[in-house]
Parts: sequence; C-alpha cells; structure tokens
Amino acid sequence: MAPRKKMILKADINRIYDDEYYSEQKIKQEKFFVRPSRQRKMKKTKWFSIGMGIDLPFCIIILILLTIGTIMMFSASYAFSYYTQGDSYYYLIRQLIFIVIGLLGMLVMSFFNYNKFHRIAPVILGVAYVSLLLVLVLPGTNGVKRWIPLGIFNIQPSEIAKFAIILFFAHWASKYYNKMQIVRYSVVPGVIVFGTTAILLFLEPHYSGIVIIGILTVLMLYIGGMKTKYLAIGFVLLVAIVGILAVTGGLSYAMSRMDGWGQALVYTDEEMWQTTWQTRNSLYAIGSGGLWGLGLGQSRQKYLYLPEPQNDFIFAIVVEELGLIGAAMILLIFALLVWRGITLSLRAKDKFGKLLGIGLTSQIGIQVVLNILVITDWLPNTGISLPFFSYGGSSLIMLLMQMGIVLSISRTANIERQ
Amino acid sequence: MENNGRPRNSARKRAAKGPNQRLRQRTAILIILILLIGFGAAITRLAYLTLIQGNALQEDAVDQQLKDTTISAKRGTIYDANGKVLAESASVWQVVMAPAYLKDDKQRKAVAQGLSEILELDYDNVYEKTQQNSYYVVVKRKIETEARDKILKFIDTLQKDYDCGNAVELLDDYKRYYPQDDLASCVIGFTGSDDQGLEGVEYKYDEYLAGTPGRIITAKNATGTDMPFQYEQNVDAENGNNIYLTIDETVQSICEKYMKQGIVDNNVLNRGVCIAMDVNTGAILAMVTVDGYNLNDPYTLPKEQQKKIDALPKDKQSAAESEALSAMWRNKAITDTYMPGSVFKMCTASMALEEGKVNDSSTFVCGGSFVVSDKTIHCHALQGHGTQNFVQAICNSCNPAFIQIGQLVGMNKFCQYYQGFGFADKTGIDLPGEAEDSFWKEGTMTDVDLAVASFGQNFSITPIQMVTACSAVANGGYVLQPYVVSKITDSDGNVIKNVEKNIKRQVISKETSDKMNEILAYNTATAGSTAGYVAGYKVAGKTGTSEKIGSKVQSVFSEDYIASFCGYAPADDPQIAMLIFFDTPSGGAYYGSQVSAPVFINIMTEVLPYLEVKTEYTDSELEYVDVSAGDYVGLSVSEAESAAQNDGFTTTVKGEGDKVISQIPSVSSKIPTGGNIVLYTDDNSKSETVTVPNLIGYSASEVNSVASEYGLNISFAGAASSDVISSAQDIAEGTSVSPGTVITVTFSSASTFND
Repeated sequence: MAPRKKMILKADINRIYDDEYYSEQKIKQEKFFVRPSRQRKMKKTKWFSIGMGIDLPFCIIILILLTIGTIMMFSASYAFSYYTQGDSYYYLIRQLIFIVIGLLGMLVMSFFNYNKFHRIAPVILGVAYVSLLLVLVLPGTNGVKRWIPLGIFNIQPSEIAKFAIILFFAHWASKYYNKMQIVRYSVVPGVIVFGTTAILLFLEPHYSGIVIIGILTVLMLYIGGMKTKYLAIGFVLLVAIVGILAVTGGLSYAMSRMDGWGQALVYTDEEMWQTTWQTRNSLYAIGSGGLWGLGLGQSRQKYLYLPEPQNDFIFAIVVEELGLIGAAMILLIFALLVWRGITLSLRAKDKFGKLLGIGLTSQIGIQVVLNILVITDWLPNTGISLPFFSYGGSSLIMLLMQMGIVLSISRTANIERQ
Repeated sequence: MENNGRPRNSARKRAAKGPNQRLRQRTAILIILILLIGFGAAITRLAYLTLIQGNALQEDAVDQQLKDTTISAKRGTIYDANGKVLAESASVWQVVMAPAYLKDDKQRKAVAQGLSEILELDYDNVYEKTQQNSYYVVVKRKIETEARDKILKFIDTLQKDYDCGNAVELLDDYKRYYPQDDLASCVIGFTGSDDQGLEGVEYKYDEYLAGTPGRIITAKNATGTDMPFQYEQNVDAENGNNIYLTIDETVQSICEKYMKQGIVDNNVLNRGVCIAMDVNTGAILAMVTVDGYNLNDPYTLPKEQQKKIDALPKDKQSAAESEALSAMWRNKAITDTYMPGSVFKMCTASMALEEGKVNDSSTFVCGGSFVVSDKTIHCHALQGHGTQNFVQAICNSCNPAFIQIGQLVGMNKFCQYYQGFGFADKTGIDLPGEAEDSFWKEGTMTDVDLAVASFGQNFSITPIQMVTACSAVANGGYVLQPYVVSKITDSDGNVIKNVEKNIKRQVISKETSDKMNEILAYNTATAGSTAGYVAGYKVAGKTGTSEKIGSKVQSVFSEDYIASFCGYAPADDPQIAMLIFFDTPSGGAYYGSQVSAPVFINIMTEVLPYLEVKTEYTDSELEYVDVSAGDYVGLSVSEAESAAQNDGFTTTVKGEGDKVISQIPSVSSKIPTGGNIVLYTDDNSKSETVTVPNLIGYSASEVNSVASEYGLNISFAGAASSDVISSAQDIAEGTSVSPGTVITVTFSSASTFND
C-alpha cells in the first residue's frame, strides 16, 4: 500500500482521491469547492485544460450542442408556440432562461467537489424513490403520471432516478470494486435497484424510462466490474423472453399496448390511428427531410401536425429541416461529446470519478440513441428527451449540472503535459 | 488487490494503468457499443427513413398538409336569338364540413344539431357525416342567402361555444335559373345537382357551358388554417361559355301558346310538336314540345300523373315515376318518329316533278280506291276524286293519284330521293337523343310498300327530318343541317364559335322548288283555313293525317291518328317553314286540316308580322284588312268627316255640337277598311247605345252587312275567305255598346277535309 501512496505523491497532485484509501477523515479535510491552484494558472490557451482547469474541448462541445439545440428548439417550437401560447417566442425565452440557470449550475458544479456525492449517493437514490412514489400519488394527465408539478417547473422523477442510479452504482462499485465479481455485490443490488425502479416506472407508465434505467444499471455494473458471465446470462434471458413473446404473438400485442409501438404507418382502427399520430407525423417529418432537408425553418410538420415538436420529437423536425446530412453532423458532435467525456473521465484520479464521469457521459449517448429510435418508431413513444435540444426546464438544468459534475471530474483529470 | 496489467518497467505507469486495466477495456467496449452500434443504428435508421422511405413518407406528409379546395366555375348563360336570357347561373353557396377537426361527441352533436335545423336535413344523417375522418364532406349544396347568413352565424356560435368553427365552411356554388320556366323546356334542358347538363342544349353543350372549375391548393396546418408561409397555388375557375340559340323567344312563346291551346281544344293524348325553321339557313326559330315542363322544377310531374303514380303499388312507384319523368323530358320533335302521312306528298310530288315524270297536264284518275299487287288501297274520299290533273291531285291529297305518281317515279328513284331529302340519316341537329327513321331495308320494299310510302304511310321519320325536307322543297332544293345554337361566346363576350349554315346537298332543282311553292300556295289559297291559309301572306302547306298503325288504341276513334301540318311562308320567297303535329287527338276531330292547320294559321298570323314578312293582300282580302282609325277629335264636324273619308272610313255624326269631342273607335284602334267611325259632338250623344246582334253562323259578307246596319265595326279573325263561316264573336249577343265599337269575329272553315 505504501508504495502506491508514494507513487501518487510523486505525481505531485494536490489532492488524491483513491477509492481504495477512501476514508471519512479525508473527506473532512477536503474543501467543499475545488479551486485551481494559482501556480497552475494557465499561461496560454491549450486544447487540454491544464492542472485544475476544466476540460475545454468538452465544455466547447457542450456549448456548441446547446447553441444548435436552442436554435432548432426555436425553429421547431415557434409555430406550436404561436398557436398554443399566442407567442412564437414563448418556448425560446423560457429555454434561454433555463439555459442561463443551467449554465450557472454547470459552472457551480464544475467547482463542486464531486466526491461529496460519493457519500450522499444512497441518500439521492432514496430521494429518487420518494419522487417516483410521489408522482404515482399525484393526479397525472391523460392517465400518465410522469411529472411532479412545481409551479413553473415540472420535475420528472425518472430524470432524478437516472442520475441517482448512475451515482449510486458509481458509489457502490467504487466502494466494493474488489467484490464486484461476487453476485451479492453486483447482480443482487443491480436487480433490486433496477427491479424496484422499473416497477415504479411501469406504473407511471414510462416504458422508455425502464429501458434507459435498465441500460444504465447494466452499464454501471459492467464498468463497475461485474462478471461478464452474469451480463451474458441476463442478455440471454432477455433475448429468450423477447423470443418467446415474439413466437407466441405476445410481442406485437405488448408493442401495440405500448402506445402503438411499430404501428404508426399501419391503419388498424381509429383509436390506434390517433394514438400513433405523433409517431406517424414524426416519420412524415423525417421522410420529408430527405438527404438535404427542407432548409432551416422550413419544416411543415411543425405546423401542429407533430404535436409538441419542441419536446421529445424535436429531432424529427431537425431532420426535416436539415436533412440526413445535418442530422449526421449533429450526431457526430454528440459522439465527440461522448468520446471526450469518457476519455477525460478515464483520467480521473479515483474510481468513483471515473465511474461517475463515464456513467454521466454515456447516459447522454444512450439517450441520444434511444431518442432517435423512439422518433423513428423503433422504440415505444414514451418520453426520452434529446439532450441539449428538447425543451424542458428541469431536465435541461439537471443535464447541465451533470455536465458540470463531469467538468468537475475533468479538473482532476488534467495533467499538465510537459 | 488485483493487478491484471502486464508488468511495466515504470512503477508509476504500472500504478496508473494496472488497477484500471479492466475499466479501460470495458470502457472501450462501451464506446464501441454506444458510438458504433448505437449511433450507427440511429444513423442507419434515419438514412433508411430519409433516403429509402423518404419519398413515400413525404407524399403522405404533403397529402395531409395540402388542402385542395375546388372553386366552382360559373356555368355559361343561354340566350335566345335576341339576347334574352333563357338560362343563367346565380351565386349560391354550399355547406361543407371537415369532421376530422371535431374532437368529441359534444362537438359532433352540436354541429349535427345546428346544420340539420338550418338546412332542414335529417339529424341522424348529418350526425353520421360528422363521424367521418375527412376534411371535405358536402352537407348541402345550393343554399341561398338566407340559409347562408344563418350558417355564418352558426359558425360563429360553434367557434365561441364549442371551439370548432373550422369544421363548417361555406363555399361558392352556383344555381341554375330558368327565367322563362317552361319555355322551350325540351330544347334548353336542365342541369343536375353537380351543375352538369342533363337534357337538351344544357347536355349537348355541357363542355362549353360548364367551364373549368378552379382549385386552391394551400398548405394548411393540422387544424386547417393556412400556414404562415407562401405555399399556395391558385388555379382560377374558368367560367363557362355563353350560348346563343337560334330560338327566338317571341316566336317560341307564340308557338307554345297556340300549341297548348291545340292540345286542350283537341284533347290530344300524346303531346304535340311544333318546329319553326328558317328555310334558308336551317336555324330553328322555335321548337315546341307540349306539354313541356318547368325547367326550374324538372322533377315534378303534372299533378294528375303524380296522382296516378301514387295510386300504384309501392314497389312500382319509383319505376313508374322515372319512366314518366323521362317521357316528360323527351324532346318529341327529334326523339320520336311518326308516319308523315299526306305531308310527305310534297316530297313525292317534288321527286316526280324533278324527274320529269309529271307535268301540269298529267292526269290521274281516282275511283276511290286503287289496286296494287292484288291489294286494294282506299282513298280518303271513298266516292273518288275522278280525273284530276297534278295540281288538283295535290290539292285533293288523293292517295290513288299519289300511288300512280309513286309508280311513275319508281322504287329506286323513290328510295334515292328519300335519302336525298335526308330521311335516311339523322339531321345532325345539335340536340341530344335524335332518333333514326324506320324505312324498308334495301331490297325488301314491295310494290305495295312503295304505293303506301308514296302518300307517307308505313315508314316513320322524325318531325325534324320532315321540316328539314319541307325546307328543302321550299328553298330551292337545299337540304340543310338544322341547328339550335347560333353562336358561342366566352365569358368576356369574344365569339369562339359561330355556326354557319350547313348545306348537305341539293335534292331538287330551283325550278322544281319554285313549282312546288306555287302548287302548295295554290293548295292553301283554294282550300282556305283547312290548308293553312293566312290572310295577307302567300302560304304554302300540306296537311297530313296518319294512322298510328300498331299503336294501342288510346283515342275515341277506331284508330289513333297523328294530325299534322307542314307549311312555309311566304310561298314566293320562303323564309319560315313550320311543322305542327298532334299525336293522338281525341276531341272529335283528328284530321290535320281540322286539328293542326288552324294552329298553323294562328301561329303564322302572329309570327309572320313579327318576322316583318311583307304582306301581300289580294283585293278580296283587302276588304277584311284592319287599319288604324285616325284622330278626328277637336276638328270641326265637316273637317272630321272629310278626314275620315280620306282615310277610307264612313262616318256617322252624333249630337248637335260643332266640334268632334270624341270618336268611336278611338285613335289607332284597328277597324276594317271602310269601317264606320262615329263622331260625337256633345256629351248627350255619347249615352246612346246599340245592342250587339248575333254574328255567328254567317259568311264574312253577311257579318259585314249586319254590322253596318247596327253601326258597329267588325274585325275579322281567323281565315277570312269566301268559304268560311263565323264561329265566335268577342262581345256577346245582347250586350249594350256604343255605336262604332269594334267586335272581333272569328271565322273557321266549314268545307270538307282533303286528306
């Protein structure tokens, strides 16, 4: 043990957070906020942030996505906004306010010592459960209970749950990293946390939430060190269940039950035709876009055909206006973000930081992929927003704060290269 | 503590990488999963939808984004020859619904309730329409201003109370009006609910009249209002062309008036036809089928007929009704065939003359019947006409004589001329439903057939063919194509089609034609009213009475007959040809001379002056010609007397004053030449009256002498010639009137009927 500590000292880093030496005492010694050392102040701008600075490329990618996302959100929303709110700028102005709050939150979080989360991770998971239960008690809209109204904000408990689960498993896996091979420490908590969350989400119902939580759980357990064998068993089980359902015909029933999943273009009955309205119009929008798109602002489907085009289905309008080319370029930027986020997280000085950073960044990538699969009718239409694009106060602020946490991790990850 | 990393030289490196080896590997796999597989799947799916499914999806999208609204084109106007409107379209509206915008049953019920009340429709029916998932459902067409205002208010209410004002919409529409109601109904025809022509000119010229409906293609948002960007394509509606008929409204209404009278007088069971044709162009001046129907209400049968149908068993009613309707709509002048009878003799005579087979000195013997191939054919005069020359044979309408004339012409020539006169082909008149003749097929005609065909029996032609042939006889032998449309103009008045006369062929020479004019004019002049004599005009004509062989007996007679008359005027310069026929008269008379000739005279008496055909009175006629009384009031008695005598009147002075204070007949009244004018010189004298005597049952000269005895004036109506007897007077016997009053006395023939 000693040589390792010595080695770290050699590295000449002010603070050391290594999970294997994690102790209550050390946390007490830590300052609440991390500040860049004055000595390490950057003399000139470099692609890589130096010392305790934030990771500039990651930050720039976030700002680029935010800019494009806001422009597209405005384009997608202004007709809907005009017809429903009487003001084309209604959603833009609100989104801009959320962005300001979110960026402040991101900045604050980037200075916040993310290790504080290590300790309170179970507490946050608890908060997530409470909110998931609370939302079921509250009256929903149209039989769907996904939102907790808080005046100007609506909070989506599944957003909290996603963060809480990443956080919890980052905490868990870093705490029991050596024991993650044991079923009791990996599969069991995974099944318990995912199972309970999934049941609560099923009651909302929020099927895509279940999918995303499931993926995040598996992802966290996987990078947390769970044996690949269990993963394989789980995968085989999943395939078997889907296979049985497909053979017995239960799959298409289940799919149709899930908001007319996969039925958007097939007219069966009036009710289903109405249910799949949004997905169908999303497909119409995407199809209309073609390779080059109709041009920025030229979407026709946003004229009330695609309901709430500023939310989950915003990317359909993006494709309609910017075409496959534009969509691919935006996806490329997302890919860069994910790549950068994961690689910088790998440089974090402790396991918790690594796992948390990878989890939070991956979540964005997963959400982008799932969102596109939803709007293209490969997944049931159930509330997966597109990060940086979709309108929404709580999710955007939360997203930017999570990015702030990644930036905070990046401060510890950057080593001045000589 | 595990360390799966490979041994490193540097402890620092080992320390940095060692414990994280697994994490790095797994992260790499994670990146592959998310970025390659996840993003790859997303891009693939998007590429599939945009590039492969793109066109199909875009089509569907455009389908829902574009709303195609049809703008009705205004149907062209139909004018008569003088520009009088016979049919025109006026703006009305149609109520359409976009039930797809209705979100719940409350809205549907409100819409159905309101619409069914305002438009007087069945609630359930409208409610059913509100449940369709469509953006265009026609609720009611052709609503007028009153209903339209109510609908507009209703739309406001819907918007306010139910937030679905966009579900009901008013679109422009047009309604066809026929200002003359039933005038020329069988020629004009009417339109259906989609403004499409169904009968007559409306049908035949539908493509000209209809115009081209316009379209507005607009991009609409999902609630049906226009999108805020320019995405609109307008195709203006092109209004229909206007059509000018050759039909003259005045001539047409004169013809209809007397034809209706003829139907009533003779209790005609199977309608009547009157066609007036310009003999030099083929233009139809009037085409009457009586009784017609009201073009503004073409689906209503006459009451009596409706009653008969209502009395039928329920299951037969609708069939009977549609049959009755189509019979009512039939233009008998061109869609029905009949046997022309003696009228056809003008054609037989023409061909014989043209072929040089007869001349003025040819004689024909009639013994009351004639035997052809062992078959005895009777003449209408059973005692026989004896020996007649050619002209007499025509005037007598002698069947045996015409059998002989037919034999002189020969079967081949007869058939050639039959074709030459245009009986074998449709005339090509620009009206729908023209029927074909029914004649013996080539080689099947026998001598007996030829014999009866010579006087117009046993073959059927259409009335329009007959009048066309008659025009050819009159106009120098030119067979014309009859037409009812003279001109078509576009909505701005530019002429797009001008119909010129179309001469098909010359069938007889000018000389033959002139000769026929002379003979037929002689026929009318000698036979008087029974042959269509019209005072002041040289009229040529021929009567006809044909048996409806094989027809079910409808009339009171042993057979059903068609009483017809075909003639033209003036005989020396023919201008108008006219065929009149009544199908199955049953009012006591059935001869063409009894039934149709008087109608012909009445019509011609009004039509010829209207057409400004010059009068040519013979001396004997002049006696009965009415002239206008002059103005003698204010003159001294002696001045007035001399003035009246100068004008050709006799005078009677009443009272003791020096000056004329009033006169009877008054200024401009029509009185016969040589009539008596009573001049009053004081007020007392005006109270003097005379009692009107009986003037019925006298000859013209007798009426004149009685009238002058009483100091009354007589105006002669009907055919005034030597052999007529007065049949009516307009002021009844025993009425007290002032001396000099004009009494109209109608004369009709008492002589035998020559056909």
